[in-house]
Amino acid sequence: MNDIKVNRRGFLKALGWGGAGTALTACDLPTTITLEEGKEEVVAYVVPEEYVIPGIGVWYASTCTQCDAGCGLHGRVREGRILKVEGNPDSLINNGSTCLMGQAGVQNHYNPDRVTQPMMRKGAGLQPISWDDAMAELSKRIKSTSGSKIAWVSGSVSGHQSVLISEFLSSVGSKNHFAHETINSSVWSQVCADMIGDAEPRLRLDKAQIIVSFGADFLGTWKSPVHFAGEYAKFRSGQRGMLVQVEPKMTLTGGNADLWIAANPGTEGALALGVANFILDRGWNKENVPGTVKQALAAYDVDTVAGLTGVPATKIQRIASLFSERAPSLAIAGATVEGQANGYDAASAVMLLNIIMGNIGNTIEAGNKFPERALRAKSGNTGDLVKFAQGLEDKKFDLLFFSNSNPVYTAPDALRVKENLSNASFKVALTQHPDETALAADLVLPLYSSMEDWGSHVPAYQPEKVSLSIQQPLMEPLYKDTRGFGDVMLSLLKVKSNAYNKFPDYYSYLKTAMVNMPESVRSGLKGSRDQMWTNLLQNGVLNAGSNTPKLTPKPRAIKAATVSKNSEYPMHLVPSARLGLWDGRHANIPWLQEAPDQISKVVWGSWAELHPSTAGKLGVQNGDFIRVSSASGSIETQVYVHKGIHPNVVAVPMGQGHSAYGRYAKDRGVNPLKILDAVSEEKTGELALYATRVKVTKTNKSEVLVKMGGSETQLGRGFVRTVSADQFRRTEGEA
Amino acid sequence: MSLKNILENFSDFRRDAEVGGHHDYEHRWAMSIDLNLCIGCNACSTACYAENNLGIVGKEKFEKGQAMHWLRVERYWDETDGEFPEQGASFVPMMCQQCGAATCEPVCPVAATYHTPDGLNAQVYNRCIGSRYCSNNCPFRVRYFNFWSYYEQSWPEPLNQQLNPDLSVRDKGVMEKCTFCVQRIRTAKDTAQREKRQLQDQDFVTACAQACPTNAITFGDTLDPNSKVSKAWRKHQVERGPYTHKKPKENAELRGYRVFEELNVDPSIMYLERVRETEV
Repeated sequence: MNDIKVNRRGFLKALGWGGAGTALTACDLPTTITLEEGKEEVVAYVVPEEYVIPGIGVWYASTCTQCDAGCGLHGRVREGRILKVEGNPDSLINNGSTCLMGQAGVQNHYNPDRVTQPMMRKGAGLQPISWDDAMAELSKRIKSTSGSKIAWVSGSVSGHQSVLISEFLSSVGSKNHFAHETINSSVWSQVCADMIGDAEPRLRLDKAQIIVSFGADFLGTWKSPVHFAGEYAKFRSGQRGMLVQVEPKMTLTGGNADLWIAANPGTEGALALGVANFILDRGWNKENVPGTVKQALAAYDVDTVAGLTGVPATKIQRIASLFSERAPSLAIAGATVEGQANGYDAASAVMLLNIIMGNIGNTIEAGNKFPERALRAKSGNTGDLVKFAQGLEDKKFDLLFFSNSNPVYTAPDALRVKENLSNASFKVALTQHPDETALAADLVLPLYSSMEDWGSHVPAYQPEKVSLSIQQPLMEPLYKDTRGFGDVMLSLLKVKSNAYNKFPDYYSYLKTAMVNMPESVRSGLKGSRDQMWTNLLQNGVLNAGSNTPKLTPKPRAIKAATVSKNSEYPMHLVPSARLGLWDGRHANIPWLQEAPDQISKVVWGSWAELHPSTAGKLGVQNGDFIRVSSASGSIETQVYVHKGIHPNVVAVPMGQGHSAYGRYAKDRGVNPLKILDAVSEEKTGELALYATRVKVTKTNKSEVLVKMGGSETQLGRGFVRTVSADQFRRTEGEA
Repeated sequence: MSLKNILENFSDFRRDAEVGGHHDYEHRWAMSIDLNLCIGCNACSTACYAENNLGIVGKEKFEKGQAMHWLRVERYWDETDGEFPEQGASFVPMMCQQCGAATCEPVCPVAATYHTPDGLNAQVYNRCIGSRYCSNNCPFRVRYFNFWSYYEQSWPEPLNQQLNPDLSVRDKGVMEKCTFCVQRIRTAKDTAQREKRQLQDQDFVTACAQACPTNAITFGDTLDPNSKVSKAWRKHQVERGPYTHKKPKENAELRGYRVFEELNVDPSIMYLERVRETEV
């Protein structure tokens, strides 16, 4: 129409000099920003811009990045702002639901304490710097550092972001990629790989009639919580399966169990072997394991196991009978079992139960694997943290990159990550928030939030079909000096490689990569490449068939270690994970700080859980401060007394105790990860998070414990009424 | 109608809960919450914060009981627990029960809380003078008073950009509570009207029902006999209207109940009993 393009802002500015502008601006014009960059042109007020109808919300598909489960999202965008997210019903992972962390993703995006511009260390402090200067400095460093001295520390990462990290590292000749996640299930995965030949099998909770979970908080913090909650709903409908939870401290899953058992910490493996022995001893299911395995189990007779675990013999027999009678069954092992020095053997004992009961191929199926190997999830673990810490100690790295990872906060003090960071001459943090690691870095590169950025996600735990989820921006970046993760990766790649010069930005790379996927992957998409891309963005997810290799069980004889007495540090520390603050990454989200912990109902702080008998002996009650000391350090926090914990255990939740990370997180509560001993799991080299021994002493300090709810019981008021499972099965069993 | 007419024929005009309430209802929004499925994860509560512009009060005010959680998930231990809570905990999402004979309504001196033709207990913020009589009279403790201007602290820029423009941000001196996401009801009604059709079941659900990972919450219109929620109420033989001991359920094994039904407030939320394993 007209060659002269007038920018809207400039137009209004010009009008502002005359009288007309005053009248116009007073109308409180809606912000009409489209998702297309550079389309901010003059439009009449009555003709809204493309995509934007004032007052009408439009939903766009994207992916949640609050944890690495990869739930599909629909984001409601109105007047160019993202207002709320809901689950994408097309996603087979979350089927339209979200958890509280997903809901709070918008507060991660709109967080008032984001890093808004690149910063570089000058002397003791970080000073603002331009992107050009930052990238010039960085490419100089990349060119002058030998590849083996470059390392990348990330969280769990998958999809094309993972591809770009690997490509970057190989372009500079480095093999040092450490993926670190405090909340993981890597020991269990290793056991699955070794005993059934699939590291990430599909668990059919929906098919099971009984689940015995040894410390796996699958409703809260294990693998894919929203997915498992959906499967749990199926498990609890109709014939209603039974849930037995064995763990030292009640988790969200334990709170929903039919039978909750606190075995002596570290003896869960022995309990599993005791159950296995009882089943085989009765002559049931013998054919599933060779004689040698059975012979090795003979040492675990019920009375011995009862003595080891502290679980009454009658209860062990009951669990064993139920487990064998109520087929199909399923046994799983989670954090508190994996996180012991003998975690691998204990988790193997749990898997042996599945093999004995013939669950392999029944309630444990081969997991779907994304056909393109490079896009599969690189799941974070703590073994990589240990290796990284060792490398740092040995001065192996000069140039360090951190993305989506905050080891200065999450690493135990015993690993000396914070002190040894100075061994690396230049540290780069690619981050959205001013976390502890960013503040210790030499260069901070501010990233888009996940609601401003592009991405693709292939979660480690795949549902009934091979699934990939697309992350598309739900609004324009809030801060002009932030950049997308993929865009920064491309710039880094271009320092030493020419292969990516044809991609001006991550969007063009992602689009090209997606539409050129092999036919097997993009089977669901139709039409031309542009149409496929549009389809993909509309659906948000790609569900592409399933592969069904057969699993072969490889049973082996297992010996479960016992836990020795420790007179100096008699108690066990459980640094419990919570669905909410997670490993501490969500402590800067006010909704999640104010959302009560599901079990203790405490808000805005830390607490230590103690059993009434232990609290009685110590002479403390709710709100009193105690000191929890290990060989590696001590923390002080308030007591919450309840019965859902082993008397020999003190549980302090992860998540608080930040020394930075914005106004909502800073200087609030304590971080139990800091005082963990550097004990490693013997077979896998994972950090044994639950193996630290502590002593607990009383202090003179006491404050009101701020929590929701005045009474701990219903006091006969009948809010929650109950019915027996037998009745339920009679009346609703057919549903 | 004259006063004389009303006085002489009072029984014609007096229509209470027994005969369908004071209104010819257009809709009667209701819920069914299955405590067999509820895992107490708090997703519903956080979704409510996101949808309804609920303020953050911080630790000190939380301690004083001033949290604005319209929907809170309560956790109870059993009184009969021995050394350990072997049967787990009990969780219950608690929010305004949108009573048909609400005790909060008649005590409001300025009619800020009133009964809508949809069967909701509406709260008119502009009318509210903050007497807090309604909160005092609510047996469920689900009305929340703005003792302070929470908005000043809750949404420092740019957090304020997340605020839902479909409803207001409340200032101090005003009572607020769960509205069954009345803005979603309004939008769905407008859309249906624009498309010249009747409102259909599952055209929309409340934010809490939408988020729930186990689909424990079912929302809908009990006047629509084919709605999911109507079917659930029928299946469990829970009926609207006053509570009576004379009419027990035909099948005593059904799980439906309403909290504090004996108070005769006619709650719109039916809970389904938690299921407890007896075999273990």
